[in-house]
Amino acid sequence: MDSGADESIADGVSRHVDPRWISVQRIHGAIFTGVLAIGSFIGTIVLWVASGMLFLGLLLLPLWLVFIVALAWHTQRWPAIAFRHTWYRVDEAGLEIRQGVYWRTITNVPRSRIQHTDVSQGPLERRHGLGTLVVYTAGTQHSEVKLYGLEFSIAQRIRTHLLPRDHGDAV
Amino acid sequence: MPSDHRLHPSSIFFALAGSLRRLALPAVLLLLTSGRSSPQPSAPDGWGPVGWMNRWMPGDFAIANWQFWILLFLIPATIAAIARYLSFRLHYEGTELVIRSGIVFRNERHVPYARIQNLDAVRNLAHRLLGVAEVRVETGGGKAPEATISVLHETVFEEMRRRVFAERALQHALEPLPEDADLTPQEDDSRTLLYLPVRELVLNGLLDNRGMLVIGALYGVLWEAGFQNVVWDRLGNWYGPGLLRDTALSIVTGNVPSLSRIAILLAGIGGLLLIVRVLSMAWSVLRLHDFRLTRVGDDLRAEYGLTTRITATIPLKRVQSLTVSETPLQRFFGRMSVRVETAGGHGSPHDGQAKQPRERLAPIIRRTAVPTLVHEVLPGFTLDGLDWQPLHPRAFRRTVKPGAIMSVLATIPFMYWFGWAGLAVLPFALTWLLIVGWMHVRHTHWAFTEDVLAYRSGWLWRSLTIVPASKVQAVGFVESPFDRRAAMAGVRVDTAGSAAPMHRISITYLARETAATLYERLAAQTAQTAFRW
Repeated sequence: MDSGADESIADGVSRHVDPRWISVQRIHGAIFTGVLAIGSFIGTIVLWVASGMLFLGLLLLPLWLVFIVALAWHTQRWPAIAFRHTWYRVDEAGLEIRQGVYWRTITNVPRSRIQHTDVSQGPLERRHGLGTLVVYTAGTQHSEVKLYGLEFSIAQRIRTHLLPRDHGDAV
Repeated sequence: MPSDHRLHPSSIFFALAGSLRRLALPAVLLLLTSGRSSPQPSAPDGWGPVGWMNRWMPGDFAIANWQFWILLFLIPATIAAIARYLSFRLHYEGTELVIRSGIVFRNERHVPYARIQNLDAVRNLAHRLLGVAEVRVETGGGKAPEATISVLHETVFEEMRRRVFAERALQHALEPLPEDADLTPQEDDSRTLLYLPVRELVLNGLLDNRGMLVIGALYGVLWEAGFQNVVWDRLGNWYGPGLLRDTALSIVTGNVPSLSRIAILLAGIGGLLLIVRVLSMAWSVLRLHDFRLTRVGDDLRAEYGLTTRITATIPLKRVQSLTVSETPLQRFFGRMSVRVETAGGHGSPHDGQAKQPRERLAPIIRRTAVPTLVHEVLPGFTLDGLDWQPLHPRAFRRTVKPGAIMSVLATIPFMYWFGWAGLAVLPFALTWLLIVGWMHVRHTHWAFTEDVLAYRSGWLWRSLTIVPASKVQAVGFVESPFDRRAAMAGVRVDTAGSAAPMHRISITYLARETAATLYERLAAQTAQTAFRW
C-alpha cells in the first residue's frame, strides 16, 4: 500500500475495499457451489432411482447441470460486480459504507455512536491478509455494521481511529 | 458496612411461589395424566420413577406421582432461594450500586448510577401486603434487566431510587453524596403530567381491544391443562360449533337459512364481541388503575395497577424516541396514546408482560393534551412548530404498480374457487389498494429541525415518531432499482430501543436530492452531538 502509518486513515476519501476480497469471495462461491452440487446430485440420483423412470433422469440431470453451471458462473462473476459497488469512507465524523448493486444502501455510523469495534479474520481472509471490520452501535437494526474485505492493517488502523477517545459519552 | 441492605425475608416465599407458578401447568398436567393412567396413584407399583421409589422405600409409605414431582422440583428451588437470601448484599458506593450474591460462585456486580436506564418496581397483591417490592435495574447493555432484585422492603427501594437519581444528578460534581444527606427536596419538585380516572380507563379498554388477549390467555391455560375438550363438550350442548358452518354452507348452496337461525347467530356473535369488550375494559381498569404519570426532577415516573402495582422511572435523558399513535376508534373519541422507547433491557421473553406497558407513557390521552406532554418529555421541542414536508409528488404513482400486482394476486384464489365470477373481486381490491396507497402517501410526512427528526405515517392507524438527533445511532440512505428509475430514494434512521419498535423511521419515496440532503444533514447533525445513553 502507498502511504506510511503516519498518514491518517481519516481522510474523507471514498475507497474500494481490497481487490483481493474478490478472489476470497470467488473461493467462497466455489466451495458453496461444490457442496451444493454434490448434495443436489445425490438428491437427483436418489429421486431418479426411486422413481424408476428412465426419462426422469434424462430430464433432471441436464437441469441439474444447467443449474450448477449457472450458479458457478454467477458466484465467479458477482464478486467483481459487488466490489465495484462497495465503497467506504472514514473521516473525523465517522464511518460511511456504501454497498449494493441493485438495492443500494449507504450507512453512516458517527464515531460518537460506536460502542466497540472488532477486526475479525477467517482462515481464507488470513491467507489473503484481509480482515473484517465490525462496528457495534447501541442501535437495533444497525447494531452491528460489517465492512468486509479490508486489508488487515487498514482494518486495524480504522479501528484505532474509530475507538472512542473522549469520555464525553460516559455520562 | 452500615449501608448494607439484604433482601426481605419474605423473598424466599416469593421465590418459591415463582417456581410453583412455573410448575403449576406441568403439575396440573401430571395430576390429570397420572390420575388417568393409574386409577390408584398410591399403589405400590405406581408409574415411572415413583413406582421405583415406592418399591424401594421401607414400610408401606407411598406417595402419588404429582406430589413426588412437585417435591422433586421444589427441593433445588428452595435451596437456591435460601442461598440467595442469605448471600445477597446490596450497598451504595460513591458512584455505583454494588450487588453481591452467591455462596459457592460469588458474584459482585457493580452498576454505575450513571448507566442505569430505568428503575422499576413491581408490587403484586402479596408484595403490597408485606410492604415489599420486586425491583428491576436496567442498563443499556443487555436484553434482560441488569439486576432483578426480588424482593426488597419498600423503604429500601425508596432509598435506592433517591440515591440513584440524586447521585446521578451530582455526577458532574464528582462528589459522592454523604451517607446522611437529605434528599427530599428532589421529591418536592414532582408534577403530575397525566392522571387517568376510571372513566378514561374504561374508555381505554373499549378502544384498545385487549379482550381477545384475555380470552386467548384463558384458552391457552385451559388448553395446556387439557380442559379444552370439556369446555367444548359443555359448549356444544347449547351452542354447537357446527352452527356457523351449517349456516354458511346453506348460504353458499343458495338456501336462505331460517330467520331464527340467523338471529341466534347474530346474537351469538354480538354477545361474544360484547364479552370481549367488557373483558378488555376490566383488563384496562385492573392493569392501569390509578395511572399517574409524574415528572420528578428530570425523571418521568409512571405508577399504575390495581393488584400488581408497577412503578417505573424513566430519566428524561434516556428517552430514545417518542411515538404518538392513534387508532381509528381512538380518533373517533379524540384520544391518542403515547409511548417512549428507552434503551433498557427489552425483549426478555419471560418478563415480556411487565416490559410492555412500561413503554406506554400515556395509554390514553386527549388529543389536545398531547403537545403539552410531548413538550414535557422532549424539553425545548414543540410539536406545533414543525415544518412538515410531504413525500415526492409522484409518490402515489409509485404505489399503483405494487397495488395492481397485489390485487391480481388477491384475485387468483377467488378465480380458483368461483371461476370467472371471481374476477369481480379485482376492481374492488384494486380500488381499495389504490385508496390505501393514496391516503398513505397523503398522510406521510417528515420534518427535520436542528435537533429532532419527526416522521408521521398511516391513514387509519396513524403514528408519529420523534427522534432527537442526539439519539440517532446510524443513518441509512436506501435506493432500490425502482427508486433509481424514478429518481427517488429513502432515508432510514436507527435508534436504540426495542428490537421491534412500533414505528420505525424509514422514509421512502423522497426525491433523490431531498433524501441525499436529509441524509447528509442527519449524519452531520448526529456526528456533532455526543450520545448520552
